[in-house]
Amino acid sequence: MQKKMAYSFPDEVLEQVFSFIQSDKDRNAVSLVCKSWDEIERWCRRKVFIGNCYAVSPRMVIRRFPEVRSIKLKGKPHFADFNLVPDGWGGYVLPWIAEMAGAYPWLEEIRLKRMVVTDESLELIAKSFKNFKVLVLFSCEGFSTDGLAAIAASCKNLRELDLRESEVDDLSGHWLAHFPETCTSLVSLNISCLRSDEVSFSALERLVGRCPNLRSLRLNRAVTLDKIANILRRAPQLVDFGTGYYAAELQPDVFSNLAGAFSSCKELKSLSGFWDVVPAYLPALYSICPRLTSLNLSYATIQSPDLIKLVSHCPRLQRLLVLDYVEDSGLEELASSCKDLQELRVFPSDPFGAEPNVSLTEQGLVAVSLGCPKLRSVLYFCRRMSNAALVTIAQNRPNLTRFRLCIIEPKTPDYLTLEPLDVGFGAIVEHCKDLRRLSLSGLLTDHVFEYIGTYGKKLEMLSVAFAGDSDLGLHHVLSGCESLRKLEIRDCPFGDKALLANAAKLETMRSLWMSSCAVSFGACKLLGQKMPKLNVEVIDETEPPDSRPESCPVDKLYIYRSVAGPRFDMPPFVWTMGEAVRILH
Amino acid sequence: MGSTSTKIKLRTSDQKVFEVEKAVAVHVIHVHSVSGDILSKILDYCKKHVNSAAGKEDISPEELYEWDANFVKVDQNTLFDLILAANCLKIESLLDLTCQTEIRTTFNIKNDYTIEAEEAVRRENKWAFDMLGV
Repeated sequence: MQKKMAYSFPDEVLEQVFSFIQSDKDRNAVSLVCKSWDEIERWCRRKVFIGNCYAVSPRMVIRRFPEVRSIKLKGKPHFADFNLVPDGWGGYVLPWIAEMAGAYPWLEEIRLKRMVVTDESLELIAKSFKNFKVLVLFSCEGFSTDGLAAIAASCKNLRELDLRESEVDDLSGHWLAHFPETCTSLVSLNISCLRSDEVSFSALERLVGRCPNLRSLRLNRAVTLDKIANILRRAPQLVDFGTGYYAAELQPDVFSNLAGAFSSCKELKSLSGFWDVVPAYLPALYSICPRLTSLNLSYATIQSPDLIKLVSHCPRLQRLLVLDYVEDSGLEELASSCKDLQELRVFPSDPFGAEPNVSLTEQGLVAVSLGCPKLRSVLYFCRRMSNAALVTIAQNRPNLTRFRLCIIEPKTPDYLTLEPLDVGFGAIVEHCKDLRRLSLSGLLTDHVFEYIGTYGKKLEMLSVAFAGDSDLGLHHVLSGCESLRKLEIRDCPFGDKALLANAAKLETMRSLWMSSCAVSFGACKLLGQKMPKLNVEVIDETEPPDSRPESCPVDKLYIYRSVAGPRFDMPPFVWTMGEAVRILH
Repeated sequence: MGSTSTKIKLRTSDQKVFEVEKAVAVHVIHVHSVSGDILSKILDYCKKHVNSAAGKEDISPEELYEWDANFVKVDQNTLFDLILAANCLKIESLLDLTCQTEIRTTFNIKNDYTIEAEEAVRRENKWAFDMLGV
């Protein structure tokens, strides 16, 4: 029998206890126990994650959590990666920085994904946060090296500057020299996205040399192979390294210098970069290959025989990103050598070519699914697939959590039977009970959505293109997938019926993107009126949607739940639907 | 995929057999670890919530909130058993309700949220500050 504890903790004790609770989910639960727990918790929440920057306003965040030290924000929808979101759509971070500059003087960390970041924002960050430590700009754009110079110059305790996959305007190569000689705190520096001349190498060398805690360094293409040894010798403690160009005329002294420099890095576990590779220099890596857990060769134009040799030296590999030059033969080698593999991504070397340029088929993926028992996450571009292969993969690897298959040509059927791939993807969702993310491709009817609605109970994110026959397809997904949070659809015959019938479901999801589908303007207006807590945004760059009959389909539609109401920073080609809002523009 | 009026059978750890409508018991269930008394209470909870959501019972959100509050006015042992069973049967709303109640009981906390205030915080938590597993 439990004894009832009839006392109450003083607030300071509760605060102490809450400080051990890091997960957002748990802290959210704490806030619901009673009002005073909510009050205590909100004053000591230090980290916030905001999955959609328009779901809440900066003021609301600041009002609820006054002492935040770390914030992560995501902006544009995922399909922005495929150029489906027009420039100027939104996702501006400046309003957030401006509000936080006043409210959070002790802010230490800002992590952004798919947001528009201006030099003004960067200068404001540099000026406002005296203890600023971490800036991660993942797939961001809108800023130049001038903004970076401001960060480098002002942030005395900077630990991380990570610009992964961002687009930066090349104005001056000397921004790195703005890091003062007193800056020794860097732990992570990722400048791999910068174009060729944006780096002053001597400044970089000196910076690396004076930062003893540097663990992760990713260089850009400007850094040539002969310079790598110098950098590595200044940072033998590196755990993660991204090379620049990995090409040069083969010279024995350069090779041995490079090999020696790599072998002195006893902690190195992760490699990336490798633009333009000369295969003869790959053996310089062999001394560290046995320790490698992550290898990103997605820019490396290395052919299969060289890839096979390299991969066979890496028995501990957990994560491999590679171009389809790896071919089925390379993946078969991977399957036999790398039993710890958890994540595989194979990218297309020639996605727009009419004919296959490499021998990469469904066989490679089947081999890896059979040989790698820990495989959880797959992104695979290929040109042909069969239901039989997908069923085999599903049966081999029921532990898959992410499965993204991209058959390059839309509506490609099973190459053996010429049937749709419904049954194959059905097997994936049926066997992989923990599947959280799925991307479909190939010829697909409404049946595949019936399978997904029936079995995809843990599915959180689904990406669909050129699939389905009717509204029933969309209805299966919206009514069946209980855990669905993000749904993105392009070029599918889904229209008004399924969307309006499942309107309530949209409040349980983060967002829905539909482009080149069959949803009418009238339905969008109706949805906006029926569901005032959703922002229903119509995007059309050619003409206003009300210049056509209401039954005409809209070009692009983005729907998301928000506690902040409609946004007011839309460009002229975005309209918000709704009764109170009256087609805000 | 059958209709909602299909009945299914459940057998408990103490060999009692229950027959329920499929809408009430949505998942394939292994109830060998749950006793008859607890399963009976859980079925009451599920029936109440399914009927209220489907409009079969005329009950306001406030009345349902109060029904829930009364539902968890049990001794601590029963509360523990309800938590374990709700977890095993993956009934998230019941798990939330019983765990919150357990915490409040253990720490002698009164839930002073009004239904609207709690709903507002819950919504803000989920819509603004929620992370995906993906």
